[in-house]
Amino acid sequence: MRKAAVIGGNRIPFARANGKYARASNLDMLTTTLDGLVARFGLADERLGEVVAGAVLKHSRDFNLTREAVLGSRLAPSTPAYDIQQACGTGLEATIAVANKIALGQIESGVAGGVDTASDAPIAVNEDLRKVLVALNGARTLQQRLKLLGKLRPGQIVPEIPQNSEPRTGLSMGEHAAITAREWGVSREAQDELAALSHQHLAAAYDRGFFDDLVTPYLGLTRDDNLRPDSTVEKLARLTPVFGKGDGATMTAGNSTPLTDGAALTLLGSDEWAAAHNLPVLARFVDAETAAVDYVHGRDGLLTAPVYAVPRLLERNGLTLQDFDFYEIHEAFASTVLATLAAWEDPGFAKERLGLDAPLGSIDRSRLNVAGSSLAAGHPFAATGGRIVSTLAKLLHEKGSGRGLISICAAGGQGVVAILEAAA
Amino acid sequence: MIGLYAKAAAGAVLPRPSSLPDTVRTRTVRPTVGRVADYAAVCGFPLSDVLPATFPHVLAFGLQMELMAARSFPLALPGLVHVANAITLHRAIGLGEELDVRVHAERFAAHARGAQVDLVSAVSAGDTVVWEGRSTYLARGAHAPTGVAGELPEVATPEGPAAASWALGADLGRRYAAVSGDVNPIHLNPLTAKAFGFPRTIAHGMWTAAHALAALQGRLPEALTYTVLFRKPLLLPSRPELVTERVDGGWDLAVRSRAGVHLAGSVR
Repeated sequence: MRKAAVIGGNRIPFARANGKYARASNLDMLTTTLDGLVARFGLADERLGEVVAGAVLKHSRDFNLTREAVLGSRLAPSTPAYDIQQACGTGLEATIAVANKIALGQIESGVAGGVDTASDAPIAVNEDLRKVLVALNGARTLQQRLKLLGKLRPGQIVPEIPQNSEPRTGLSMGEHAAITAREWGVSREAQDELAALSHQHLAAAYDRGFFDDLVTPYLGLTRDDNLRPDSTVEKLARLTPVFGKGDGATMTAGNSTPLTDGAALTLLGSDEWAAAHNLPVLARFVDAETAAVDYVHGRDGLLTAPVYAVPRLLERNGLTLQDFDFYEIHEAFASTVLATLAAWEDPGFAKERLGLDAPLGSIDRSRLNVAGSSLAAGHPFAATGGRIVSTLAKLLHEKGSGRGLISICAAGGQGVVAILEAAA
Repeated sequence: MIGLYAKAAAGAVLPRPSSLPDTVRTRTVRPTVGRVADYAAVCGFPLSDVLPATFPHVLAFGLQMELMAARSFPLALPGLVHVANAITLHRAIGLGEELDVRVHAERFAAHARGAQVDLVSAVSAGDTVVWEGRSTYLARGAHAPTGVAGELPEVATPEGPAAASWALGADLGRRYAAVSGDVNPIHLNPLTAKAFGFPRTIAHGMWTAAHALAALQGRLPEALTYTVLFRKPLLLPSRPELVTERVDGGWDLAVRSRAGVHLAGSVR
C-alpha cells in the first residue's frame, strides 16, 4: 500500500484565551487557516479529495463546521468535508483518516487538522430551563404552555459553562494528571525544566525562521502569545502549584498548558498528486495507533493511553523506541510527558501492564520536542495534532532522513500515536 | 451622529447655497479588531485578517455625514435617498493597516425628480489608494441650478432561483446603525420611520449590499468593483431572497421579495 505524503501545513499563531482571538469563532479561525493553506500551496479553486477537521468545544450551530469552512474558503466548493472529534486527539485522528484514504487510493489529496476556541466557548442554557423550553416547543395547547411556563424558576437563568473536567469523575484534567505525576514521582524540577525547554525551543525555532512557511499571522499576532522566550527554570520555580493538593503538589500554571485559541491544518496527498502540483513532499505518513485506558475504574491515569499505544505501534512496524530521530510528545502537562517516559522505562510496568518482557527503554532527550510544544505554543485542543504533524514533517524534511514519533494524549482516557518518516 | 441629524432637521428650512462646497473632509484611522468584528458579525462576513470589502464605507460615512449636514451643503440631509453605490477595492486591506480617508462631494445636478449628488470617498494606505467609493444620493423635489444628473450605473437584475433566504429581524436597522454609525431615523424605530413616510423601519441599503457580498465569500477576487442600485425600500422585519448569477468576469446579484426588487448589484 502506498504511503500518504505530508506536503506542508498552515496554522495561525495560538493565542491565550480571552485575548487576541476573543472575537474570533471556530469557523473564522478554521476558514482563515484553510485560506492561508490554499494561498501557500496555490490551491485556489482546486477540488481536493476531502477536508477533515474538528473542534472540541463546539457550538450546536457548528454541526458542519469543516464543510462550512470549505464553502467559505477559496477551495473549490466541490471539495467534500466532515467533522470529527476525539478531544485532544482530534487533529491527529483527522490526519490518520485522510492519510488512510490516500493510502487506499480512495482520494489523491486532503487537508486534516482542527480548531478550538476557549474564548468563544458554547454556553448552554441551564439544564432545567432547557427541559422546560423543549417541552414548551412541543406543547400544543395554551393550557399546556401556561402549565410549563409555571415551571420557570429564577435560578434557571444561570447557564451551563463548559468545564475542563471529565464527566465521569468530575476531576479536571490537571487533577487527573496530578494523580499520575504523584504515582510516577515526577518532580517539580523536572517539570519546570521541560517547560523552560519548550519555550526556549519554540523561540529558537521562530528565530531561525522555521515557522515562516508553517504559520500565517492573524489579528495582530505573528507568534504564539503564550511563548516566553526568556523562560527559565528559576522563574518557573516561583509559581505556586495549582493542581494536586498539599505539600507534594508540583503542577503549576507554568508547567501546564493554558487555555488557548487557534487552528492548524496539514496538507496531504499521494506522491503523484504532489508531483502534478509541483509540491515537494516533506514526509510520509507511515502508521498510527489509538489506545484507550480505563481511568474511571481501572488503575490507569487519564492521560496515559499513549503509553499503551506506542508499544503496539512499534511492534507492528518492527521498530524500537530508540529508532526515532524526533519525538513529538504533546505537552498537555510537563508531568504527562515525564510520566509517559517513566512508564516506558519501567521494567515492572512493562511486564505487568504492557505485557512486555522488557521495557521500551529511554529516549535521547535531545530529540524530544525540538521545535517546542504545547507548554510554550499553547494547546487549542483540536488544533494541536495539525501543529505537531506539520512541525514534525518539516523537521524530517530538514534532516533529510529518519523518522519521527508522535504521541498525543486525550480526554476520555484516549491516546493517538503515529509514525512519520522523511521523504526519500 | 444623532446630533447631526437633529441639527440637520432643525436647519432643513433654512436657505441653502446653490452649489457644492469644495470641502474635503479627511481622517486617519486604524480600525480595531473589535470594530471590524462587530461589523463582520452584523453583516455576515468572517473575521479574517483583511477588511470586508464594504467596511471602508463605514469609515467614510461619518465624513459624508459631516459634509452633508453642514450649512454649506446645498441639500437638506433629511430626505436624501441613497440610490446607488459603487465600491472599488484595489487590493485586500489588512486589518490593522493605518488608513487615510478623504471624502468630497461632486456631480451636483438637476434630476427629473429633484437633485442628485455624489459623495466620493477614497481610502489610502501610505501613498496608495486602496479603496474608492461613490455614493449617489437623490433629494426628491430639490433643485439644482444646472446640469443633467449623471447616469446611474447599469446593473443587471438576475431572475433565477433564490441562492439564499434571509430572515431579517425588526432590530436589524438598530444593529447595523450601531456598527456603521448610520443612525438615520428611518432605520431605527417604526415611529420615526413613519414620520418619514415608511410604514415600518427599513434596512440600510449598505447593510443589504454588504450582506449580499458576504454571501459570495470565497468566490470573490481580491480586487473588485461592486456596484449596487437601491430599488424598493426593504421593510423590516422581512424575509427577502438573494439571487446570484455567475457572469463573465464576476457576479450579478439581486435582493428581492414579494414587494419587488430591493437591490441589484454587480461584482467585477
